[in-house]
Amino acid sequence: MDSLIRAAQRGDQDAFEQLVRAHDQSVLRLAMNLLRSPEDARDVYQEAFLRVYRNLDSFRFDCSFHTWLYRIVTNICLDRLRKRKVRKEESAVVETSDGPIDRMEVFEEESAHANPERAVWNRELNERIESALQDLTPRERMVFELRHYQGLRLRNIGEMLGTTEEAAKNCLFRATQKMRAVLGDCV
Amino acid sequence: MTCDSVARLIPLYFYGELMPEEEDRLEEHLHACAPCTREMERQRAMAAALDRRHTEVPPLLLGACRADLLAAIQGGAPRLFEPAKGPWTLFLEALAATLAGLNRYRTPVGAVALVAVGFFAARFTGAGLPASSLSPAGEVFSTVRSVEPDSSGRVQIAFDETRRRVVSGAAGDRDIQRLLLAAAREDNPAVRVESVDLLKSRADSGEVRDALLNAVARDSNAGVRLKALDGLKPLAGDSQVRKILAQVLLADDNPAVRMQVVDLLVSHRDDSVVGVLQNLVQKEDNNYVRLKCEKALKDMNASIGTF
Ligand SMILES: [Zn+2]
Repeated sequence: MDSLIRAAQRGDQDAFEQLVRAHDQSVLRLAMNLLRSPEDARDVYQEAFLRVYRNLDSFRFDCSFHTWLYRIVTNICLDRLRKRKVRKEESAVVETSDGPIDRMEVFEEESAHANPERAVWNRELNERIESALQDLTPRERMVFELRHYQGLRLRNIGEMLGTTEEAAKNCLFRATQKMRAVLGDCV
Repeated sequence: MTCDSVARLIPLYFYGELMPEEEDRLEEHLHACAPCTREMERQRAMAAALDRRHTEVPPLLLGACRADLLAAIQGGAPRLFEPAKGPWTLFLEALAATLAGLNRYRTPVGAVALVAVGFFAARFTGAGLPASSLSPAGEVFSTVRSVEPDSSGRVQIAFDETRRRVVSGAAGDRDIQRLLLAAAREDNPAVRVESVDLLKSRADSGEVRDALLNAVARDSNAGVRLKALDGLKPLAGDSQVRKILAQVLLADDNPAVRMQVVDLLVSHRDDSVVGVLQNLVQKEDNNYVRLKCEKALKDMNASIGTF
């Protein structure tokens, strides 16, 4: 990986592309999970990797490349989450050749299709889960996402978000408490 | 350990973020305390519920993102240290790119003008260029064909030098069409997309039809394949076209292409299409394509599987 980064730093486009491909799926998954919108996730992807492209020279190997990349990605996502808190949630409806569809329903229907007995349960609980997640502050949401869904260690998460492991622990604790309060008897 | 302090540690314990000695003490407490054990159970149940919410990334999104990025970078996203490039640097870069076997796009994707560049132009020089409008003496381009170092430390480089010429004429013009057919085989995918797009309204000509089929079956760029499929729509009932489409459906690695092929195939019903779709349902790993296929089979009152 280090030699790939050095090659990309020297301007080797092929190496840069390999570097992107080694990390871009997890970046896209993170953005998609946090923002729940393919368009926003696409924007985050573009902005993040263009920043990487432009600033790769400033990467000094004093942390892992993954951590450095995630500093960029989490920053962009946090910005968007904060702006969202301010303005009203956009419509999730998109126009397609088959008429207007709700983006999120497509994904949900798909998983319902794969496992029908979950469908009813999903529909009820999903709303509660979404509102529970929306009640979190952007920072709590981010820590929770990185720990629960991306499986990163809190120490590493602290490093990415420019804070201490202790602060990340507190964030995770608050996030869990809030969600348990909202989900309560549901689970 | 008090129940209060345990409550605080439960999420961290669940995520394996406690020190070993803290973990031991917590487990000791859980063994002896029913209310805290219930708290632990609730933590697990909540995590399991949240696991099910995990959204998958739509399959086409990753490809779209990668294409965006490539276009932005090749379209000239600046790098901070990038020096101004002289002709010699550009030549060396072209050389390096050729050696690495990379296809660098010479025009940005989505460019509208069809420009005949390089070897493609050279092939047509002696063969009666379209007379419509011909601008003489353009820029000179070099394509490196071979590089051979010799024992004395010198290097022999063979390259074709070609002039850029610009021709224009109506898309239906016979000479323009010949250039378009050649352009549909160019290295540059942006040129291929434009050419196939212009050709696709003329699939009634046998030559154009063959070029479109060739693009659908062989072009490495999914955008070109999709344009070519578009052009084959009026021929969706043709048995030879359908035979090739059936092969493409089972072989193409791009879900958007497969979806469009399904559309084309089911627009004209024949006996073989049911078998082809049943075959695809069995091996299709993309949910959208599989659902589309299953729906098409249902619409034709055919069973989804052969089992
Ligand atoms: Zn207790």
